[in-house]
Parts: sequence; structure tokens; C-alpha cells
Amino acid sequence: MSPTRNIDFTTLTMKDALDLAILIEEEAYDRYSELADQLTQHDTPDAAHFFRLMMANEEKHRAALADRRDAMFASAACGMTRAMIFDVEAPDYDEVRAFMTLRQALETALRAEQKAHAFFVAALERITDPTVRTLFEELAAEEVLHQDLVRRELAKAPPDPAIATEEFADEPTGE
Amino acid sequence: MNLVAKDFKSDLKPIWCPGCGDFGVLQAIYRALAAIGRPPHEIAFISGIGCSSRIPGYTTAYGFNSVHGRALPIAQGLKLARPELLVLAAGGDGDGFSIGGGHVPHAVRRNDDLTYIVMDNQTYGLTKGQLSPTSPLGLRTVTSTYGSLEHPVNPLLYVLAYGAGFVAQGTPADIAGLTEMIEAAIRYPGFAFVNVQSPCVTYGEEHQQIKAHKATMKALADLGHDPTSRAQALEHAHAYGRELLTGIYYQEPDPPPTLGALVRGRQEALASAAKPRAQILDAFVQH
Ligand SMILES: Cc1ncc(C[n+]2csc(CCOP(=O)(O)OP(=O)(O)O)c2C)c(N)n1
Ligand code: SF4
Repeated sequence: MSPTRNIDFTTLTMKDALDLAILIEEEAYDRYSELADQLTQHDTPDAAHFFRLMMANEEKHRAALADRRDAMFASAACGMTRAMIFDVEAPDYDEVRAFMTLRQALETALRAEQKAHAFFVAALERITDPTVRTLFEELAAEEVLHQDLVRRELAKAPPDPAIATEEFADEPTGE
Repeated sequence: MNLVAKDFKSDLKPIWCPGCGDFGVLQAIYRALAAIGRPPHEIAFISGIGCSSRIPGYTTAYGFNSVHGRALPIAQGLKLARPELLVLAAGGDGDGFSIGGGHVPHAVRRNDDLTYIVMDNQTYGLTKGQLSPTSPLGLRTVTSTYGSLEHPVNPLLYVLAYGAGFVAQGTPADIAGLTEMIEAAIRYPGFAFVNVQSPCVTYGEEHQQIKAHKATMKALADLGHDPTSRAQALEHAHAYGRELLTGIYYQEPDPPPTLGALVRGRQEALASAAKPRAQILDAFVQH
């Protein structure tokens, strides 16, 4: 299952590559926002709070990429759309649970960063344009840095309680 | 019209359990509707009752979270009355194959142009995990403490046997594939059925979850399946409950006219043969 549709990486231009990277950050931002809302609604404040921090991170990365894109291509039309990407850096919906711990939320983010890294590495095998290659190498390296950041937070996070959090999952209301 | 998935997302925040498969289904529906390009006010989304039946409220389309098991009759009535609307119906396996099961063959044989999406989680999620018609044999639930003695229904097999022109199965483990399937179902001019294996994380079994789907699912396209062959589709449909085969099982290559088209044809024929109003009144006066 490829996380992209209708993208030919062999002919990807620098403008399209930057637009793609921006959309990937935007998708991750939206997903963290959705997951944070879900967890807030289901009394899971620590994980929700962490996902809101991740939203801020994704937005920072998006803004930096957007500045770069504006500097290089000004107002040239964007040729990429969100319909072309599927959860490249966004955590999967099934990653979260009611009452998940901060540690589990951090692990979710770590898996998302690893997924994004794997995506850029796999794409590099097909990219031919040298400037796009440099950009994707840089993006892949950044994902490794993000993983390190999350790992450092994981080292500080309290251990999970002995009882599985699933035992507390709140149930839907009957109708 | 140039629309994006977000145009179909309403302000109502889903109250589904975090991790519920229905989130991925909703995302696939947003994306399919964006690809279709009809604005939300031209779309009506009808559901029954259940966790999954909350789905219309999470879209910007017109929606009706109706009565348990009655999504299909309401959707058909709406489509006949307002043929210009794009009509979607949705619900759970309990809603569609248990209390509403009697409506499915009639929706198929009437063949109105609507898309029916079932979020099949093999349980009654909303009412806290009782047996559903697709629950596997031996499943232990609050209503089957010693294990279910009932064989599950096979929705793919029976919808195919009823003669449906479009039958597909997907999973939110592959949102891209599910999006394509839902888009194709909407584009199909007639009754289209999409069964989605949408895991319930609260009451579902481990082997029914997304991770298990990702590990075991097989695309029909990779098995050399010919979606224009009903015989092949029926053959593959037998795997339901044993293997997760995804994709379009059957798509009628030469779709027959829909009920709406036949009704409009009949109305036109009768209208051209109808007597003018004055002559009808004369007939009453003379006798
Ligand atoms: C006439 C009627 N009978 C029973 C119910 C109780 N009820 C509500 S939802 C439901 C089943 C839900 O299961 P399903 O349709 O599979 O949807 P899910 O919640 O799993 O998405 C039942 C039995 C009802 N609301 N109305
Ligand atoms: S009970 Fe199951 S089907 Fe209902 S919202 Fe929760 S996970 Fe989804």
C-alpha cells in the first residue's frame, strides 16, 4: 500500500517536491489535531496535550518549508494536492485509545516519524533530480532528528501503569 | 467543481472511541466525495442507528440519522422524490443485516441509484458489544457467554446473489483503496454496495483490528480477479470471514436502467397518452 497516488518520483521537480513536503506536514498537523480532539473528548488529557505539541511542531516545519518555497517559486501554482497522499507522516487512526498514557502517545509519534523517514528513503530510490534528492535527504535526516527528540522525551516519561489502560476504555452511549 | 476532503467535514466532533475503524471510513468518504466533485448541498446521507450510523452528522452533506434498520427504505424514497441528489446510505452490520436485513434484497432488485456503505464490525458497538449477524461462530459476548452457536451471514455472497450491480469490500487499513472503491461505487449508475471491515476497538477481537488487516489482507486485483464476472465474484465472496479479500468483487459492465429512470419513463409515457383535463371532466359529466 503506497502512501501516495499519481506521483511520479522519477520526474518530480523541486517545486512539486516542496509542495509535497508541505502537504505532508499539513496532513500530520490535521491528524494530530483530530486525535487530540478525540482524546480530549475521552478524558485522556496527557496524550491530547502531547498531540497538541506535535501539532505545533508540524506547523513549524510546514511554515519553514512554505517560506523556502515562496523564496524559490514565489506565487507559482501548486501542482500537488492532498488527494495524492495518504498518512505519510500522520499517525494512523488506529494508533490511539481512550486512556492511553503519555508514553503510548510518544510511541505513536515515534512510529509516525519512522514511517515518514521510511517514505523519504523509499522515494529517494526513484528520484533523479539532484536538487530534489538533496531536499529529500535533508527531510529524511530531519525525521531522524525528530525521532531522537521523541526518544529523549520517552526516556523522561513515567512508566506505564501495571494495569492495561484498555481496561478503562470508556464505552459509547446507547440510543 | 474543485472540492477538497475538508469541504465535507462538519464542525461536529465524532464521539466514536479513539481508534475506531469508522474514522478511516469517514476519511475515505470525504476523499471520495471530493473526487466526485458534487457540492455538499447536492448530497444526502441517510443512516440507521448505531455507532457507525452517526456518520452523516460528521459530513457537511444533508443527513438523516434515522431509525434502526431503516436507512435503505428512506434513502430509496428520497432518491425517487429527489433524483437529482447524490444519495448515500450507511450503517452497521446490525443495522443492515439484522433489523434492516429485509430491506436489502428489495433495494437491490429496485436498483435505484444509491450507494450503501456498511461498516461491518461483527458486533453491536453502540449497545455495548452484543452478537451481530456477522459475528463469527463461537464468539463470546455479553449475549453469548459460552460462545455463539449461530453461523454468521455472508453479506457479500447474498448481495451478489440478489443480483447487485456493484459489490466491493474494503478496510480502513487501506484508506487509499477504500477511497477508490467508494468513488467507483458512487459513480456506478445503480445500487452499489460497499462492505467495509471497520474494526471496533472496544468490543472487537484482536484478529479483526487494523494491524491484523494490514498483515493479512489481499487485493482481489492481485489475485487476477475479473470484476465483470459474477461467477468469480461469488467464488471469492465465499472467503468472507476466513480471508480479507479487498477490492471490487463485481461491477456490472452493462448497467440496467435504475428504478428512477423506469419511473420517469413510465410517467412520460402516461403523460403523453393522458387526456386533457377538460376531457376528463366531460367524462364525469356525461355519466
Ligand atoms: C428498533 C430498535 N431496536 C433496537 C435498538 C437498539 N440498538 C441501537 S444500535 C443497535 C445495534 C448497533 O449495531 P450496528 O448496527 O452493527 O452498528 P455499530 O454500533 O456496531 O456501528 C441496536 C440493537 C434501537 N435503537 N432501535
Ligand atoms: S464501540 Fe466500537 S464501533 Fe462504537 S465507537 Fe467504539 S470502537 Fe467504534
